[in-house]
Amino acid sequence: MTTRRSFLTGLAASGFLPQVSWADVGTPAFLTAGRDRQGHFVLVGLSGAGAPLFRHQLPGRGHAAAGHPTRPEAVAFARRPGQFAEVIDCRSGTILTRLTPPSGHHFYGHGCFSPDGTRLFTTENDYDNARGVIGIWEVGTSGYRRIGSFSSGGIGPHDLLLRNGAQGPQLVVANGGIETHPDSGRAKLNLATMQSNLSLLSLSGQLLEQVTLPTDLRLNSIRHLTLASDGTIGFAMQWQGDAGQGHPIVGLHRSGGYLQLLAEGDPRLHNLNGYGGSLAFSADGAEIAVTSPRGGVVQVMNTQSGEIVREHQLADVCGLSSGRSHLIASTGQGHICQLTPKGSTLLHQDEIAWDNHLIALPQL
Amino acid sequence: MVDEILDQQILPDMQTLAESSAHLANAAEQMCRPGVSPLREAYAQAFDAWIRVSHLRFGPSEVENRAFALAFWPDSRGKIPKTLAAHLRKADPALLSDAKFAQSSIAGRGFYALEFFYFSPEDIGAEPSEFTCGLTRAIARDIAKNSEAIYQDWLSGYATQMREAQGRYANESEVKQELYKALNTGLQVLSDMRLGRPLGAFDKPRPKRAEAWRSGRSLHHILLSLDALKQLALSLSAKDPALAERLEQGFDRVLARAEALDDPRLEGVADPQKRFRIEALQQQVNDLRTLIEAELGPSLGVLAGFNSLDGD
Repeated sequence: MTTRRSFLTGLAASGFLPQVSWADVGTPAFLTAGRDRQGHFVLVGLSGAGAPLFRHQLPGRGHAAAGHPTRPEAVAFARRPGQFAEVIDCRSGTILTRLTPPSGHHFYGHGCFSPDGTRLFTTENDYDNARGVIGIWEVGTSGYRRIGSFSSGGIGPHDLLLRNGAQGPQLVVANGGIETHPDSGRAKLNLATMQSNLSLLSLSGQLLEQVTLPTDLRLNSIRHLTLASDGTIGFAMQWQGDAGQGHPIVGLHRSGGYLQLLAEGDPRLHNLNGYGGSLAFSADGAEIAVTSPRGGVVQVMNTQSGEIVREHQLADVCGLSSGRSHLIASTGQGHICQLTPKGSTLLHQDEIAWDNHLIALPQL
Repeated sequence: MVDEILDQQILPDMQTLAESSAHLANAAEQMCRPGVSPLREAYAQAFDAWIRVSHLRFGPSEVENRAFALAFWPDSRGKIPKTLAAHLRKADPALLSDAKFAQSSIAGRGFYALEFFYFSPEDIGAEPSEFTCGLTRAIARDIAKNSEAIYQDWLSGYATQMREAQGRYANESEVKQELYKALNTGLQVLSDMRLGRPLGAFDKPRPKRAEAWRSGRSLHHILLSLDALKQLALSLSAKDPALAERLEQGFDRVLARAEALDDPRLEGVADPQKRFRIEALQQQVNDLRTLIEAELGPSLGVLAGFNSLDGD
């Protein structure tokens, strides 16, 4: 469908319209990747009630996305080890431009913008050197330009988000610790020595703080992140070792570098199958929830006591977002659900299998 | 199903690993010159035994880093030769005590470390010396101790946990899922690592990434692992004879193609005339994986959702 608007915005790949903002009506509340019934990989904009507003076909399986802080556009990233990121006009779903990482790099699937929207940061694998990298892209009125990169502070950087620290904005990086190379698909090449970390970097790449897990949790890979309004970082892990006892899957990083691992010792951790897929704080920050597609469950934990407050059984659940008042989850069976203390309510069912993440977009 | 897998595959194979590793340690004690055939033969038997169980990465093998200490592979950053060369330079006799050696870097231990001494000592600067001999003996004893510890843990309780679905297994379904996961992991390692790493890219093949190419065991490991995985797949599918038959045919096709390669070190990855046959083998392994995920998984109660199938 070539409407006049999509034709214009297509042309505008080199002529973005700076005066347009998220205040424009009709922008979606969420972005998510998915797979339709024909097997096509798509990026879909969803309303707050989970109804698709636009659908855009991707060149391969997508993963996460990042919304621009002021302009109604977002970047949708390829699932690792993919090599595309699509810049989308969120009013129509039209592609504005496609980003490709430098030769010898692939995207890990996550990225974020600087607060003023003039930079995009992407997690990447410099795979022949087994080096985790944050790619820097200049975001101008005329498009996106690669301007450099710096070390992510570890191997296998995955999720990345922006946090306002006391000294200004900083990047929070989940360095999963796992070395992979596109030649060997998604096989893990360094489990014998892997060590994950959570790194805080300045926007110019200076390592400000780095925390690692205790030795007995060396095989826990820190992969996904979320942020509370008070600056507390929530992180979700994926256990790479023997299943055995339930290992902690969710942790909090509070200011000062204090780490808290939630629900440690609770036998219900076993239900997560060693795997946290997405996580989100409740709107008031009192709770944090984690999805486990392998366990078909969402666990909600109290951020003060660290205890599991409740569980929601949802087959193939993975995407999760704070929502305005209640958590919203998406599943590989096409469900968008609202999670409240009373249970889960189906908001929308679609024929599209929703992929790993449900990305909330700026709303005015 | 679980009893059969334990009694006919896991326990006897773990026993073979323990016994052949003990034999290797004895042989290393008696001889040192790397070219001596009884020593190489003992090494080959013990290494074979490990490869046959290398997909069983749960329970006893994961205690105290045992499996990593037996098999530091893949060594994508070349840590094994670096560690061994450092050991040889320092030549610290204290390292050779069992207790001290068991505390040393896992990159300097296990079958892949020993391969350097027996097949390419020049790569680590190993000169014939008392210390060099002592180090190979320490590695062999460490292999024997880890293998025995794994076997003893299986005997002293882990097999019963699986048989009775106790302890860490809440029910029989979880036991089957553990075994199913081992089958899947084994096939992934075969496709992505044993084949994928040396294949590299068409314009950049990586023959020196083939597993154990120094000892010419690359293809042999593929055959050993396929044979062990075939038995596991057939046992797991026994309740569905039609599926079991398709799996048997699938594995036999892959085995026949692998045998026909006649290329012990997979050097053909760098020869356009031969490379396509190795790629075809990898494709067949992937077809088997697809069949197993689509049909065997659901029959064992494994969720095969869009998100739950593999992680990111």
